[in-house]
Amino acid sequence: MLEPTDLAVEAGEVVALGGPNGAGKSTLLSILAGALRPSGGSVAAGTAETRVGWMPQRPALYGRLTPRENLELFARLAGLADPQAAVARALAEVGLAVEERRAAALSVGNQQRLNLAIGLLGEPSVLLLDEPTASLDARQRRRLWELVARARAAGGGVLFATHSVDEARRVADRLLVLEEGKLVYEGAPAEYAEEQA
Amino acid sequence: MRAVRLLLGKDVRLLRRAPALAVALIVYPLVVALLVGLVVRYAGERPRVALVAPEGLPSVLVVGTQSFDLQRLFDQATEVKLVQMPAAKADAELASGQVLAVLTVPKGFTSELRGLKKSPKLILRTTRGGLSTRVVEKLRAFVYSTNLDLQKAYIQANLSAVDLLLRGGSGLIGRTQFNLLGIRRARVELAQLKRSPDPAVARRAAELDTFMGQLNGAVGQVGAFLQATANPIQLVHVSQGGRSWILSAQVQAYALALALAFVAVLLGAGAIVAEREENVLGRLVGGLVGFGRLVAEKIVFVTLVAAGLGLLLALAFGLIVTVGHVSGGQPWQRLPLLAAGLLLAAAAFGAFGVVVGALAREAGTATLFAFLVALPLTLVSLVPPGTAPVAHWIGAAFPFGHAVHAFTAALYDVHPAGPFLRECVWLAGLVLAYGLVARAAARRLL
Repeated sequence: MLEPTDLAVEAGEVVALGGPNGAGKSTLLSILAGALRPSGGSVAAGTAETRVGWMPQRPALYGRLTPRENLELFARLAGLADPQAAVARALAEVGLAVEERRAAALSVGNQQRLNLAIGLLGEPSVLLLDEPTASLDARQRRRLWELVARARAAGGGVLFATHSVDEARRVADRLLVLEEGKLVYEGAPAEYAEEQA
Repeated sequence: MRAVRLLLGKDVRLLRRAPALAVALIVYPLVVALLVGLVVRYAGERPRVALVAPEGLPSVLVVGTQSFDLQRLFDQATEVKLVQMPAAKADAELASGQVLAVLTVPKGFTSELRGLKKSPKLILRTTRGGLSTRVVEKLRAFVYSTNLDLQKAYIQANLSAVDLLLRGGSGLIGRTQFNLLGIRRARVELAQLKRSPDPAVARRAAELDTFMGQLNGAVGQVGAFLQATANPIQLVHVSQGGRSWILSAQVQAYALALALAFVAVLLGAGAIVAEREENVLGRLVGGLVGFGRLVAEKIVFVTLVAAGLGLLLALAFGLIVTVGHVSGGQPWQRLPLLAAGLLLAAAAFGAFGVVVGALAREAGTATLFAFLVALPLTLVSLVPPGTAPVAHWIGAAFPFGHAVHAFTAALYDVHPAGPFLRECVWLAGLVLAYGLVARAAARRLL
């Protein structure tokens, strides 16, 4: 259950969403992604052209399809003009090699990269990432943060859930902390880190 | 529509990549068709019944003036296969199920039958198994047809007695020989007495002759009365040369509906739950596909798979019927009508399955739930109207009964349009109703 919360992610801003397990981070991201309907309140995109990309915490993909088939399916469902090009671009963004193996046979880390690639298909201007580094190795984490930095530089907004204050301090412009569905902190990640120390 | 088509392609591809499921879906109708074929063949066979006659049976039985070849009568029984055996062996075979019943001809049966005084009895013993009713029906039919033959003999014997009463002569009742004057000869003698010079005798003779005339007329009608009272209603069988209603028709309709019920309900439940298990539901309904279109796609997917399976089953069944020369044959020209019924029934079962899946939420629970719900509802659908109204209405809300009636009409009704359309309207209504419920219930999956 989320308490009434006003939240805005500005263009070119990276916002971290912290809090313990069960605080409501994933629920909030699901609502913002349109997967869940809020019992009250509303979600508004900045402009009609605002495109939202979502990377759920658990890989959301079809295990018996190959990575390419997964990407092509979601690209076509999204009505992208050139699905093949979008697939190639998303694969390049996450650095995932084209494999003919089924997605279920990929390592957990590669499944997460595919999960992220699906979220990137429509060249979103707002990225919602739910604990994106949870299953990634150090190299892939670096690659992910580079991607986030590129999105920010391009004027996009990024909201990511994390358990790591250090991660938030290094990457985010702003930190929101939820506890039992209630916003208990909003401010600079560094200040929160100092408070916690 | 594009999203539905894309998801449909994906589901078909996923089905192809689940070899165990794909093989099961192909093998399933063939196994069902084979089992149904065996049932149909069995249905055409005569039940084996032990015949126990402690006194033995005379090869020729004389009843009145007619004689019967009892051995031939039993051998040619079309309803049951009577096998004569000692009582002990019959008991053992009944206990082991080698015979389905024991028909005992008690002592004194043939003498009672010959005596024409009272009806002799046959004793039928069956087990309490499910086939006992069928055996009883078969033996009733056998006794009925035998009675018809005997009845003719009895009537003929009675008519001989009436003829004796009319014409006079010598006769036999049991073992007693007697001579009878007869009505006609009595009237000849009364005619002579009417000419008597004594007026009182002549008048009395005239009165008696009038009575004898009336008696002659009445006794002359006895033959017709006997025929009429022996057979108050006669069944005249006129063969039109058309399709005969055979057990295989009912079995086929039920087999198709049962196969569709279980496959479509389980597949529908599994298909919607799979989206949740793959964790893609949020992605899909988060702007790509709404719940309505997602549910519609699942129903279309299940419809195509289950109806295809049903058609395969119907084809396999038809081949067995044709190759096995089952009476009535397979109405191949009705296949398009049957296919339309299969599509609608599969859609209705599929929509129901999607509701079950949406409510169950998990694959294991959905499978168990689908089976547990579909089985009693299938049985409830078999309740005939008028016996238990509540059960009948519950059954009416499940597609099974409508599917059976639609398939039956499509395959065997002489004028299928009316009943087939009525059931199709029911099935279409159920697709819509379950589709709407499924759409609302699918939100629970998130």
